[in-house]
Amino acid sequence: MGSRAFHLLRATPGKKLNSRSGFSSEALIVQNRVRSFSVVRSGLEPPDLPRLAETARISLTPDEVEEFAPKIQQVVDWFGQLQAVDLQSIQPAIRADTEGENLRDDLPETFENREAMIAAVPSYEEPFIKVPKVLNKE
Amino acid sequence: MLSSVQNPRFLLLHLPPKHLHFATTKAIHTSQTLALSPSTSPPVSQILTLRHSLLSRRSTAVELAEAYLARLRRTEPQLKSFLHVSENALKEAAEIDRRIERNEAVGPMAGVLVAVKDNICTADMPSTAGSRALEGYRPPFDATAVRKLRESGAIVIGKTNLDEFGMGSTTEGSAYQVTANPWDLSRVPGGSSGGSAAAVSARQCVVSLGSDTGGSVRQPASFCGVVGLKPTYGCVSRYGLVAYASSLDVIGCFGSSVTDTGILLHAISGHDRFDATSSKRQVPAFTSQFISKDLLESKPLKGLRVGIIRETIDDGVDPDVISSVCGAACHLEELGCIVTEVSLPSFSLGLPAYYILASSESSSNLSRYDGVRYGNQVVADELNSLYGNSRAKGFGSEVKMRILMGTYALSAGYYDAYYKRAQQVRTLIQKSFKEALDKNDILISPAAPSVAYKIGEKKNDPLAMYAGDIMTVNVNLAGLPALVLPCGFVEEESTSLPVGFQMIGAAFDEEKLLKVGHIFEQTLRGCNFVPPLVADDFPC
Repeated sequence: MGSRAFHLLRATPGKKLNSRSGFSSEALIVQNRVRSFSVVRSGLEPPDLPRLAETARISLTPDEVEEFAPKIQQVVDWFGQLQAVDLQSIQPAIRADTEGENLRDDLPETFENREAMIAAVPSYEEPFIKVPKVLNKE
Repeated sequence: MLSSVQNPRFLLLHLPPKHLHFATTKAIHTSQTLALSPSTSPPVSQILTLRHSLLSRRSTAVELAEAYLARLRRTEPQLKSFLHVSENALKEAAEIDRRIERNEAVGPMAGVLVAVKDNICTADMPSTAGSRALEGYRPPFDATAVRKLRESGAIVIGKTNLDEFGMGSTTEGSAYQVTANPWDLSRVPGGSSGGSAAAVSARQCVVSLGSDTGGSVRQPASFCGVVGLKPTYGCVSRYGLVAYASSLDVIGCFGSSVTDTGILLHAISGHDRFDATSSKRQVPAFTSQFISKDLLESKPLKGLRVGIIRETIDDGVDPDVISSVCGAACHLEELGCIVTEVSLPSFSLGLPAYYILASSESSSNLSRYDGVRYGNQVVADELNSLYGNSRAKGFGSEVKMRILMGTYALSAGYYDAYYKRAQQVRTLIQKSFKEALDKNDILISPAAPSVAYKIGEKKNDPLAMYAGDIMTVNVNLAGLPALVLPCGFVEEESTSLPVGFQMIGAAFDEEKLLKVGHIFEQTLRGCNFVPPLVADDFPC
């Protein structure tokens, strides 16, 4: 299972990797093999960039949508190789299990440098942080 | 290898030297070297040298600070490691001198000039994380690591350049400037902590702080020929580190010697109530057990079990890099180690798993940059436009793409397919490291599949750039500590470029890594890791 995925990042066997051009040929190999993984993706909708940009609250220009879409598609396809891995009964790990949780008591404290925090606010009108109105678009 | 104001002779213990009974040094790792200087001596701790100079009154902190600042200014136009240089360095140095004058105690890092990666908050200097979104931002607090540094007497000389928000492996992703590799100005220093690595390599400062989420301390350490340490997750507080991927981020250390890196680590480690993931363990004295090389026995690492990770010396890695790392393995054998090949199942899955987790977590962490409470704001009539336009203007392309990929991976219906599966892969990787580290004291591998490449070479190809992280990401997924030290050179177009190798340890085993690294470094022959750019200041 894992070995097939590793070939994604292998140069063609026997080919000496030249540090300067090695990675472009590597990327080509990735692209070629990545196509074979689209089948494995089993019907997940490809990224809808304008919709994602709205969710992430980033205003993308049409040029950016055109530039990003194929690159993001390529990376998402590459993510798809995890579909082929047998992960039955493996617990997901939230983080490295190096240490347990160390929560402090839930008691409010006053931050000692409020002036500096306020000074960083772009649009401030004491005591309010100013924002424009919210329009319901839907 | 020392600046003219420092004299190391007083430092080494004055005991009759005991010769190392070395088998003839295998020249594998030096076979491609331009002999920079035929007789080289191993690195000496600049921190200890500096300290001795200060306490014996041979130099003042102001003189030392001036020497570093002069070299910084001289090399900065070519290197561009710094986004901001402190205006207070000489003032702080003068204060240290006053305390020494009055015979008052000074901290272990008194007078040491430290550069700090610009994604680590400093209250008296801007902290931009390399982004226009935070241009000119002054945090209202020092990161805990910075506070601890200052309490130990260190002087923060400036903030270093990085890939925006830590996203990148070349430092070309900075919104401000591109940092050059001190060994070859047409090449990248690595990333994302490229500025911090270049600054130590060019001796613009003594040591520096970086951050490592997927290799961002270790890969630039290798590219710049310096020592880089990624501590165990939880060893150093993340309070004040601009969050990229909270389950993976750590603050790490750069130095020109293992001793300096260990002293810096000690200064910044420890539990912090403001970081719920920070460990309550006692911080060991990482370098106090170091032995001078003159006192080492002939096989000082006898019996140490070292596993070289087979998947990292395979196709896809520059053969010269493999050869250098195998040379390092031979050197370890000569020191008494038992070196075997180890295979880590699931190794290759780490890279896509890492990028799923990192982009997902970053999409959440970067949602706070909305132009409302801090950072750059694009004025708009309506709130969503204010968010959308401020973020569009503030973020660079790589950051936008990763946020969008993360948003996708976390969308309703996709969590199971991507994020959850990536977390399951994380479990597999943690298990396979644990098993390997039960049978071995340390694991070794290259830090990157190549030496530093040319500026602009990987700019338009995200997957090609991501591929370079394959040596490092699994260590972040498992939260383990790793030390990168220079072990040789590779010739590219008649330039000598440094190569580092990576040593991975069990959780919280930094002491062992540093001890082994120190002995390796002190007994390595024929390599001088001072770049030609500043070699005149450090005659061997």
